[in-house]
Formats: sequence, C-alpha cells, structure tokens
Amino acid sequence: MPLKTVKKDAADALTLEWVLQVKNYKLTLDKNRCVGCQICSLACPKEAIKTQKQPKIQGEKAKKAKVDIDLTKCNFCGICDVTCPHGAIKVTLNGTHDLSILAKESYPQLVRDIKVDTRQCQKGCVECETACPLSLIKISKIGYDGKPVENIEALSPTQKKRVQVNLDIQKDYCPTCRVCEFKCSPGTLKVKKAFEGIIAINQEKCPEGCTDCLDVCPITGALTLGEDKKVHVNELYCTYCGACKNVCPVDEALTVKRTKIHHTPIRSGTWNKALERLTSPHDAVKELKTQADENRRKLVSRRFVLEETVK
Amino acid sequence: MSTPQTPKQPETPKPEELRVGVFICHCGLNIAGTVDVKQVAEYAKTIPDVVFVKENRYTCADPGQEEIRKAIREQKLNRVIVAACSPRMHEPTFRRTVSEAGLNPFLFEMANIREFASWCHQNTPQEATERAKDAVRMAVAKVRLMMPLQTIEVPVTNKALIIGGGIAGMNAALDLAEMGFKVYMLENTQSIGGHMAALDKTFPTLDCSICIEGPKMVDCGRHPNITIFANSDLVKVDGYIGNFKVKIRKNPRYVIPERCTGCGECKDACPIEYPNEWDMNLGTRKAISVPFDQTVPLIYAVNMDYCIECFKCVDACGDRQAIDFNQKPEEVEIDVGAIIVSTGFDVYLPYDMPLLGYGKYPNVITSMEFERLILAAGPTGGKVIRQSDGQKPHRIAFIQCVGSRDKNKYPYCSNFCCMYTLKHVVQIKEKYKEDVEVYVFYMDIRSPGKGYEEFYDRARERGANFIRGRVSRIDEDPTTHNLTIHSEDSLLGQPIEVEADMVVLATAAIPKKGSADIARILNLSRGADGFFMESHPKLKPMDAPTDGVFYAGACQGLKDIPFCVSQGSGAASRAATVISKQKWKIEPIISIVDETKCRNKIAKCGVCVDKCPYGAIKAEPGKAANINTANCHGCGTCVAECPQHAITQMHFTDAQIMAQIRAALEDKPEDKILAILCNWCSYAGADLAGTSRFEYPPSVRAIRVMCSGRVDKEFILEAFRLGAGMVMVGACHLPYDCHYISGNYKMKARTDALKGMLTKLGLSPERFTVEYVSAAEGIHYAEVIKEIDANMKALGKEKIMAENAKLKPTLENMLKRWKKP
Repeated sequence: MPLKTVKKDAADALTLEWVLQVKNYKLTLDKNRCVGCQICSLACPKEAIKTQKQPKIQGEKAKKAKVDIDLTKCNFCGICDVTCPHGAIKVTLNGTHDLSILAKESYPQLVRDIKVDTRQCQKGCVECETACPLSLIKISKIGYDGKPVENIEALSPTQKKRVQVNLDIQKDYCPTCRVCEFKCSPGTLKVKKAFEGIIAINQEKCPEGCTDCLDVCPITGALTLGEDKKVHVNELYCTYCGACKNVCPVDEALTVKRTKIHHTPIRSGTWNKALERLTSPHDAVKELKTQADENRRKLVSRRFVLEETVK
Repeated sequence: MSTPQTPKQPETPKPEELRVGVFICHCGLNIAGTVDVKQVAEYAKTIPDVVFVKENRYTCADPGQEEIRKAIREQKLNRVIVAACSPRMHEPTFRRTVSEAGLNPFLFEMANIREFASWCHQNTPQEATERAKDAVRMAVAKVRLMMPLQTIEVPVTNKALIIGGGIAGMNAALDLAEMGFKVYMLENTQSIGGHMAALDKTFPTLDCSICIEGPKMVDCGRHPNITIFANSDLVKVDGYIGNFKVKIRKNPRYVIPERCTGCGECKDACPIEYPNEWDMNLGTRKAISVPFDQTVPLIYAVNMDYCIECFKCVDACGDRQAIDFNQKPEEVEIDVGAIIVSTGFDVYLPYDMPLLGYGKYPNVITSMEFERLILAAGPTGGKVIRQSDGQKPHRIAFIQCVGSRDKNKYPYCSNFCCMYTLKHVVQIKEKYKEDVEVYVFYMDIRSPGKGYEEFYDRARERGANFIRGRVSRIDEDPTTHNLTIHSEDSLLGQPIEVEADMVVLATAAIPKKGSADIARILNLSRGADGFFMESHPKLKPMDAPTDGVFYAGACQGLKDIPFCVSQGSGAASRAATVISKQKWKIEPIISIVDETKCRNKIAKCGVCVDKCPYGAIKAEPGKAANINTANCHGCGTCVAECPQHAITQMHFTDAQIMAQIRAALEDKPEDKILAILCNWCSYAGADLAGTSRFEYPPSVRAIRVMCSGRVDKEFILEAFRLGAGMVMVGACHLPYDCHYISGNYKMKARTDALKGMLTKLGLSPERFTVEYVSAAEGIHYAEVIKEIDANMKALGKEKIMAENAKLKPTLENMLKRWKKP
C-alpha cells in the first residue's frame, strides 16, 4: 500500500497523519492539555487508543498516564476529539476542523453548559480568573467609551458603574469542574457538569502518604490530602475523568464511575456503544430508555394535538 | 455423481509369443547429432523378444507414425517401443498411433533418449549412446510385462469455474457462457474488472480503458449463464477433470445483494472515509461504498476495519433494509467440470530500494499511481499534481525497469512497462504540451507488437528526452521537494544528473499475492519467478499440469491486454474441449487390491486407508480394502505402503519397475546412478535440464514413476543387491509441491527409515539420497546429478564393491520374503 502515514511523538504533541494526494487527515494530541484520563481510549470505536501508566520515580511526583494511538487502527473519525473533556485532541481534514461525524450526526457533542450573567459581576472581582485550575477564563472590562479598562480603581464611581465586564471562557477546553462557580460569590457563573458520576476512595485500602492521584488530578481541590495522610474527595469539583484511577497503585482503592453524560440529542449506534463503555451497560440502557420514553411522549402528544385540531 | 465401474485386474497375459518392435527416432539431428543411432538400433536387435527395429528421421511426423502402424500390422507386433523424446511430450501421440493399428495403447512404452541422453550429454557422445542403449533395454524389460488396459470413462459436469475476474477471466467467462455453458466467476475483491478497470488509457490507441472494459463487465454481470461470486475466496477443490467439487467462501459484505439497488444513499450518510486501495490510496472512499462507479456487481460493502457502526447507513437505506451487520462468512459448494485460473498479477512497490526514495520522498510515485492521477475520474480529477505542494510538475522523469530485469529483485522483463510509460509520455505531452519536460531513463525500450514501435516514434516526436542508462540514486531537496536523479548515460558513456519535479517509477509486475495458496489448492506448480507453470511452454501454454485446469492472462506470465484477451478466449476453448463432452476418459493407471492377499480380511490393517492422500480407499472390518476408482489419482503410495504387497498400480507394477531396475543395472552396476523420478516434478525437471542443454554426468539411469510415494523399499534394496553405485529418489519439493498432495511426505518417512537401516548395515550414507527437484529446476537437477557422481567417484569403485559384497547376503535375505516374478 503506498499510503503515506506519519506518526510523530514529540515532547509536547503526538501527531498522526494520513497523507493522501488530495486529502490530509491529521490528528494532534496536545500533551500539555492531556491529563492522562481514560475517556478517549474508552470512547474510541476502533480501540486504537491506549493509556499507559508511567513508572513512578521515587521521591518525584506521579506522572500522568501516557496516551498512545495506534496508527494502523485509527480511522481519523474524530470521536476522541469530540469526547475529550479537556479538548486535547484535534482531528483535522486538510487543516480544517470540520468533523464529518458531527455533520452526519453520527456522534453527539458534549454539552458544556456554562451560563454567565456578567450583570451581577462585581467590577473589581477576579475570583473566577484566578480560581480556574486550567486558566481558561479571561476577564476583560470595557469602559463607557468602549475602550478596555486598565485600572478600575482609577475610575470615578460613575464611570465605574458603566464599566462592562466580559468573561472570555475557552469552552472547548473546559472540563466543567465548577470550581469557578463555587468561587464566584454573586452567582454570575452557573456550570453544569458534562459528566456525572461517583468517585470514592476506600480509606482502608488507600496507602498512607501516597499522593499519586492528587498529583495527576487536573482540578485543584477535587482531591485533598487530609490530616490522616490520606486522600479525600471533594465531589463538587470532580469531573470524573479517571486520570487518578489510572495512576492509583492499589486495586480498588479508588473508584470512578460515570453515570451520565450530557450531550446533544443523537440517534447513533456508535454513541450507544461509546456510552456503554464510558459509563456502564446499566447506565447506557437507562439513557436509551429515557430517550425512548421521550420519543413516545412526543409521539403521543403529537397525536393528541392532531386529534384536538381535527375536533 | 455416479462412480465409474471398478475395472477388474487384467488377467495375467496368456503365454503368447512376445513380438516387440523398437522405433528409434533421429529427431533430425537432435538425437542423431549426439547419439549413434545406428549403434543403438544394432544393439536393440540383439535384445531378446525384439523382432523388429526401425530408425526414423522424425517418428512423430505422419510418415513416422505410419511406419509404426504398418509394422504392427505386417510384423504382428504386440509390444511397441519408441525411443525418442520424453514421454511427457509424445506419449499420448504414439498411444493413439498404436491404438489406430489395433494394439492396446498400454502395450506401448517410450524410451527417452533425447532429453535424457543426446541433449544432456552432448560432449560425451559415446556415453550418451550407452545411456540410450540402456534406455531401450529398460523399456523392453518393462514392455514385456505390460498388460492391455481399458481407459475409464467418467461423467462430466458441463460447468466451468473462473478464478479471477480480470480482463482475461472475463473474456473466458463470456466466451464459455456464449457457448451455452454455465460459468461461475470467483473474484476476491468487490468488483470484477481487474487492473484494466483502474487504468486511464490503453496503448497504442489511447482508448479509454474503462469505456472499453465497462461494457464487458456489464455483460458478465447480466449474462444469464454467468454467476459472479465477488468478495469471495477459494477454499478447497476436490475431484478431478470433469468432476471438480469447489468450496467457496463468500466473505460478508454486510449488505444483502438481492436488496441493494446500488443507489448510494448509504454512502452519502456515512461519516467515515478511508484510503481507497483502488485509487492506489491517493484518494478516499467511504466505509460503506463501492470502489469505483462502474463496479460489477453493483453492490455496496461495509469495510468493518473502518466502520464505527453508527448505523446511519441503515437509516438511509430505510425500507429497502439491505444492510445487515450480522452477516457471517458463508460457504457454498459448486460442481464444475473445468477450472480456468486467471488470477493476474500485483505491482511491486519498491519500498526496499531506498536509493530511489519511494515512500520517503513525496514526489516519487509509481506508474500505477500516476495512472490514477492522470485519470479524469481519479482522485485529482485528472490533474497531475505533486503530493508535496499540490502544484503541477514541470519536469517529470520516468524511470524504467524498477525491480524488473534486476538480478537482485526480479530478473524477468515485466513486458508492458515500456509501453505504458510511452503512453504516459504521450498523454503528458499532449495534455500539457511544452509546459512539461519529460525524461525517460530506460535500459532498452521494448516495443514488439502491432503498432507499438510506431507509438514509440510518436512519443519521441512529442519531444520526450530518452536517456539510456540505469538510475543509481535519487536525492531530494528537503525544502522544495524537487528531486535530482543520478544516472549514467550509457550512450555518451558518462554520468548524468537531471533535476525533476516528479519521478514516476515503472515498477515490476509480480505474481499475485496468494498464488501459493491457489497453487496448493489446485495442485499447480510455479516457476522460479513465481508465475504458474504451464504443461508445455510452446504447445500447451494454457494447460495446467493438473488435468482440467487452464490458465488465462498474466498469472501464467506477464502479458498486455490484447494477449490476455486472446488467452482468455483460448482458455475458454480449451475448457470447452472438456465440458462439452458427456464423458471424459481417464487413464487406467490406478491402484487395484488383490482381495486374496489383503490382510484386512483377517486382521485390522487399513495402512493403505491412512496413507491414501485422497481418501479413496475404504477398509471395512473383515473385508478386503476397496479403492474408489473415481477418486484414485494413481500415485501408487498405497502400493508401496501395503505390508502384504496386495495392491498393484496398473502400468507401474512392482514387476515392471523391478524389471527396469534389473535392466538398468545389468552392466557395470557399480558405475551407475539409479534415479527413480516422480513424473510431475523431478522427471519434468530432468526433462528441462535436457531441454536447456545443461550437461551432467552420463552415469545416471532414470526410471519414471507417477509419484515418489510409489517408490517401494524393495526397489532400493534390489538396486543395492544388484550392486548399484548410487541410488537417488527424485521428488517434488516439500511441503506443498507434490502433485498428489502428500506422496512426497510418505516417501520421506519410508526412505528416512530405510536409510537409517542401510547405514547401520554398512552402506555409506551418501550412496542413497532423496532429492527434491521441481519442474522448473533443470539446473538444480543437473547439479544434483553432478554432486552424486562426484560422491561416487570420491568413494571409489573398490569401496562400493566391497560394501555391496558385504550387504548382498542381508539384502537377499530381506528380499526373499518378497518373491515375485
């Protein structure tokens, strides 16, 4: 086969490529954004993605699991791209990021439901910007004259009132941890998690003094080291990505289970299978059931309305 | 299928007066130029029972044959010997001749004095003459014990199978279907059409390839007599000429053929694309798709390697419900009377020639890729562009003989590369005119064909630069991706460097991947180059060594489209000679059980049942073993294995072969090499050594058996008892070459044990060897004989005779049990 394929494993990115005469398929894994969770490898329909636990060097922090993609199995469908909560994978065709699985409705998009009401913002507050563990929020202020405000304290109270606050959130990379929401006192931000689930640490099994999970957790504050030298979970912040589970040295000490994924409505076999792998067969069936219920309800109400109008 | 009647074992010939006639052929000067034919004739007269000897210039010609017929009538001959060429060549001819004169054709024997004497011992005429005399004596010894046999008739299935749906296979199929026969076409890809369907234009007329092939493909798809199994593999073939049972595996395409209308709505719904192997991976196709628009049969298929199972295609297909993801491979069995193999060729991809940079430099492509680039329906819409930047190249270099005519790769000429490169040159020049400079690096331009030389002229007139020389390496400029070709100009006699934007490699055509499997399933042999071997390179170019199997197209040897078409039609007519008959005659050289001797009647034996490669023997408890005539292929393995010597192979009886051995070793046995050769590989290889005039020592005396499995232990023992210098058994290569599936393995087990025993008894191990020689290895046979002869000389006569004297009483003792005439 004269198909030209490229696989480059650089320090900050893993690149896969199909170089055809007229088309160029490219997959880039941004290693800085990748947290070594298991979401992409579970979502991949071709089982092309493997996460490998990295050996721990004594005295150093635990390293996040390494993601490797098998070029012979990958078909550049882009499911990993869509599913990655951190937006670490990008699949492009001829340089454009238009995924055919989304266009053809073969796979849903994650719903990152972030509501911002900047009217309630306190003008000088930068809580969310500093709180975001991934530095995805940028606050900009625009004065009455339409110019960005450099120093808010220098303005007069009237001018201060007319300052408009804008929150620029890089949604594509947001894992919806809700840290900003809890740090924001006036309730400007409302975040709904894309993944719902359960995380639990079996304190009996959790080895004392080990902070491997804490080291790799991308969300500051989701896991904390208690006074008993054991790790405790703050479920409010957890995104259920499973990066911690990948590095945990003891079996069954840490469990992460996803139960629900918020996504755009879809009817696709690929999604059903991915959902089953990402959550559990039980939860997948649950979603399908609610979907079916919803469809039934729509059908009945449509009938009902029809009959009403006929009457 | 009715089983033909089992022939009775022929009665022992009535004690009649033997009247043997010997006809010695000059074959022009082919034999008479080396062998002293007069001397052989004089000698023949002295052999007992020979009553008539005649020399002929050409025995196979009409006057020669008439001589034989006349002599049989006038001299009342009841045995005939023709000392001429190989029996693999003219045995059927002379059998017909003697039967025309009223003599049973199985009372005829050939002595091979051309391939086995005159041609291979040209520089030692005296020894060649001696060998010819011995050959005649051995033939007389065998013919004395021959019995009249009746040919067996089997019914014929009037259907044919064509393996491979390229242009050759399609023509064969259409011709047979038009004659009124049912034809099955087996194609392992999704569509018939072969390589031709992927080409843009054809030389020298520049016809659009798919435009002329497309209608033929549609004809095949529509013809009521043709059934196409696309996406299917050949699993197993049982049976014999006229009665093949073929097992085919239909691989799942996840689309129900009867329901698919070929509308393509599923393709539009599919989100996944993958590189299209049909486009040489230059373009893409969907995970549910057809490889190209003209696909026959027009049925979509899902490639599960890439499908993500979103089932959008199922939705798109809707009420037609043609898509079924639960499809499993399905096996079907068909009966056919003849098989045409037209599996075609593959294109070599020069990844292992790093100096040319293929696979490394983006702008180095193969001709097949170029073909897809310049094709208007191709992935670029007919634009020739570079992969590195998508721009049109302004200097294109074509490099000929990449892999072909290369001692380190493929030594043969790939036949059509020169012509398709000329086609590309003309196409480029006529499309882009002066805008593109063209260089062709060639060794020789080979254009022997109707209108081909004129086409070469046309290419030159268009202004292409032809440089005669072999390219040594190609370098790439890493920024511009332009290429520098380093070569020599052998006409100027100096090195030359040419810069080009794009390089097109005319790579070798190689045997189809999977040829080895097809060869194993159908018992075919392949030449050193990997292409299938025909029965005779001149006279039977379409016949496989297996009866009822024929070749068409490039699988037998590389050829261009018109030759493939004519060979397809030729193969169809060859197949029709079989399937147009109601009955087919097969040679009665099968095995027969002597019920009075079979041990299975008194004890549980069944050795023959286990050893028969075809499962043709049944041994019920308390009854003598029974051989199914229709399934017996006549290898004789059971004969050699039978502990009671209760089985006889007709025409190759123990007594006949023993008589040949004795005749061969009558005179100075310690100087002779006795070679027992199997008919299909080693005898054919020895024939080829003769045909190719490879000389080897004349000390060898060859005996032909159908299969090396026939070689009885006693043959070897008897040879050494008589004092043979060396004994050699020639067989087909292990593991798969045996014409009778596994006869060579049975022989190996037997001879390994025997060799161990003989060595223990004091025989030098090199005096008894088993050699594996294929039909294509004439040179190997000559080398083997040379080596054995050298070993014999090294051992020395004294040592051999001493060993023989020591062994003789033991061997006589061992052979005592085996008392036969």
